[in-house]
Order: sequence, then C-alpha cells, then structure tokens
Amino acid sequence: MSDLVTRDELAIDYALGLAEGAALERAERLAKTDAVFAALVADWQRRLGEFDQTAAEIVPETLDFDRIVAEIDTPAGTSARKQAVHQGSSWWAELWNSTTFWRPTAMAAGLAAVLLSGAVITNLGKPPTQPVYVAVLQTAEGRAGAVVNAYADGTVTLVPLETIGVPEGRILEVWTLQSREQGPVSIGRIDKARTLKLDLKALKNPDVGHLFEITLEPAGGSPTGKPTGPILMKGLTSTAL
Amino acid sequence: MRESILTDDTVTDILKRCANGDKTALRRLFETEAPRMIGVAERILRRRALAEEATQDAFVQIWRKADSFDASLGNGRTWIYTIVRNRALSILRNESRTELSNTPETFERVSEDDDPETAVLKLGESSRLRQCLDKLEPLRRNAIVLAYTRGLSHGELAGKLGLPLGTIKSWIRRGMASLKECLT
Repeated sequence: MSDLVTRDELAIDYALGLAEGAALERAERLAKTDAVFAALVADWQRRLGEFDQTAAEIVPETLDFDRIVAEIDTPAGTSARKQAVHQGSSWWAELWNSTTFWRPTAMAAGLAAVLLSGAVITNLGKPPTQPVYVAVLQTAEGRAGAVVNAYADGTVTLVPLETIGVPEGRILEVWTLQSREQGPVSIGRIDKARTLKLDLKALKNPDVGHLFEITLEPAGGSPTGKPTGPILMKGLTSTAL
Repeated sequence: MRESILTDDTVTDILKRCANGDKTALRRLFETEAPRMIGVAERILRRRALAEEATQDAFVQIWRKADSFDASLGNGRTWIYTIVRNRALSILRNESRTELSNTPETFERVSEDDDPETAVLKLGESSRLRQCLDKLEPLRRNAIVLAYTRGLSHGELAGKLGLPLGTIKSWIRRGMASLKECLT
C-alpha cells in the first residue's frame, strides 16, 4: 500500500471502523502488542462511545439469554456453535453438516474434479495455469453441476457445467464456508448459470475442505445475509493434481 | 425485573465477575444492555435479525474475553459496546464485499432517523462531544458521524458525499485531529 498512515491515523481509522483489509489486521495486531496504540484507540473509543448510548433500545425478538448460555457452554470451534446462533434458520447448518448429501458420489467427484477443471480451462482459452484447488459442486442428484477453481494468485472462478432453471424473481447466490466460526459468506450473485469470477478479497484464500455452494434466493440476494433458499449444488475443495 | 441502568462502574464490576465464571453477572448485563446493543448493531446492519445475531456473538465474546478486559484502558461499558460494534461492522463488511451485488444498498437503507445531524442532536446539549462536533465544518462532521454510527466505509462516504477517496480520508483525519484538540 502506498497509503502509509501514522499510528495516530491508524488509531483514528480503527476506532471509527474505517480500517479495512491489511490496515485492519495491522490495527488488531497493534492493539494487542503496542501499549501506546492500544491507549490511543481506547481514548477514541471512550470519546466516541457516547454515540452508542444514543442508539434506540430494541427489544430482542429471537435473541434470549438461554441461547447465549447454550453457546458459551459449547467449546469454541465445535460444530454446534453456529447452529445455536442460527436456531431460527438452522436447517442450512444441518444440510451442510449432512454427509449423506454427497457420500454416495464422493469417489466419483474426486475423479471428476481433476478431469473437469482441466477441460474447462482449455475451453475458456485461459493461460495454462493450474488451479491450486478445485471443488466440484454436485447437485442433489449427484451430478457435477459446477466447478470452482482457485488459483495461486487468489483468483477464484466458478464454471457451471449445466444450466440451472431460475424462476422469475429469483437469483443464484454463491456461498463459501471457510470456518464454522464465521459461517457462510456470500461471494457472488448471478441471474443464471454462467462463468464468473468470485470475490474472495476479504476472505482467506481457499484451502482444502472449504465448502462452496449455490442456493436459490430472492432477487437482490438473501434477505438475512445467510443462505435461506434451497441448496442447488455444493462441494468441498480438494487439491488439484 | 429489568434494571433500567447500570453505572459504568457496575459494568466494569460485572465484567470482573464474568471473568470468574459468574453467569448471573452476564445475565444482568444482558437484561440491561442487550436492547441498546441491538440498537447499535441495527443502526449499522439495518436488519434486525442480523443485529440480534451480532449481539449474540458479542455476548459470547464478552464472556470469553472478560478476563482480558483492561480497566486501566477504559470502562466496561465502552468495552462491551466496542465489541458489539466491531462484530456488526465485521458482518457488514463481509456481506457487502461481493462485486456482483454492488447495488448501493447502504444508501437505500438510510432513514431520516439516522441522518448524521439527528445522531449529533441525540447526544444532548450538555455533551462535550456534541459541542466539539458542532465546531467542525458540516461535511467533515457528517463524514465522521456516518462512519461511526452507520458503519460507512471510506468508499461509501466518498460516494455519498461526492468526494474523492483521498479527500475523504484526509478530511476525516483532520476533522478528528480538531476534535481531539477540542475535547482535550
């Protein structure tokens, strides 16, 4: 970044919530390791915190204390964690956890991953760069519906292998799940099955075992920020040979 | 019965008890502070379900990190509101990153209640923060207030205020420098 900022400026940006990407990572690290920086940030937080006390009080609809206790009683990082948060819509969590969804075709998928990713790259006339990771997204019927390719430079593409009927007023939304802690994150929306570049800028680069899936959502995307519609296809990344 | 208000000292004391594993202390914090914390998150996320999720996550973090709360750096209330605000910002930024959905959702969602002038007025007349913000040039003040209360990014502020990104960044930093001078 050419945009070099001083410690004071970074503290201001961080306290206001304006630090993003590398700057945010730097601020979070300094807040733990640099006492001067931590004090600068705390100073701003104390001053600006007055704004928080002007927010409206909103009586919780679904949140209650028992759910919080249920979550803190579950060791961090176990799969039950996010299910507690999404009790209202935990069906997706169950689906994502379900191994039966893809177990019968897991072997075939491993083979298809290698064959298809090679074929697709040739067809698109891309430079002969091998993806580092590939994921074959399978339909509920076990067909390979799309391939996700992740390249060494961080580029990630989605290449559909079959058309998807999208009803009027609906769109396809692409999600990735890198950790249960973070939950599913939307990385793209399309009106019909077509090749697209996915935006994973603010995420970690894909790694083995990351989940990608496509759901059907209302036009404009999921209203909750998490998958709400039926899963059309999904698959896990594995290393490309 | 819900207590209407906890003093800053009480919140700090509650955090110490949480660090010792006292869940009744956490419950007391939840019952008094959760509605306002949802309000802070909702102002940023514009969706109630997400605001409640951010608040749930915040309470889990408060419980797990209570032993790292450093009272020498600030009071407990500031600390818990910083946690919920950062959680809401993280949800907001993770959601709006997709290039394919770059509809200016953030601007559509602006309601009159949350314009920056109203946010400043809500601080109350005796507020030193308000008095110092009132001394700033209005556009600079608005940029700072929108960033903090609504979670707008540098890019969104540039779009909303019709200014280049670099200008926004330097305005905010200079505005904050003036603010600090006034508040000190």
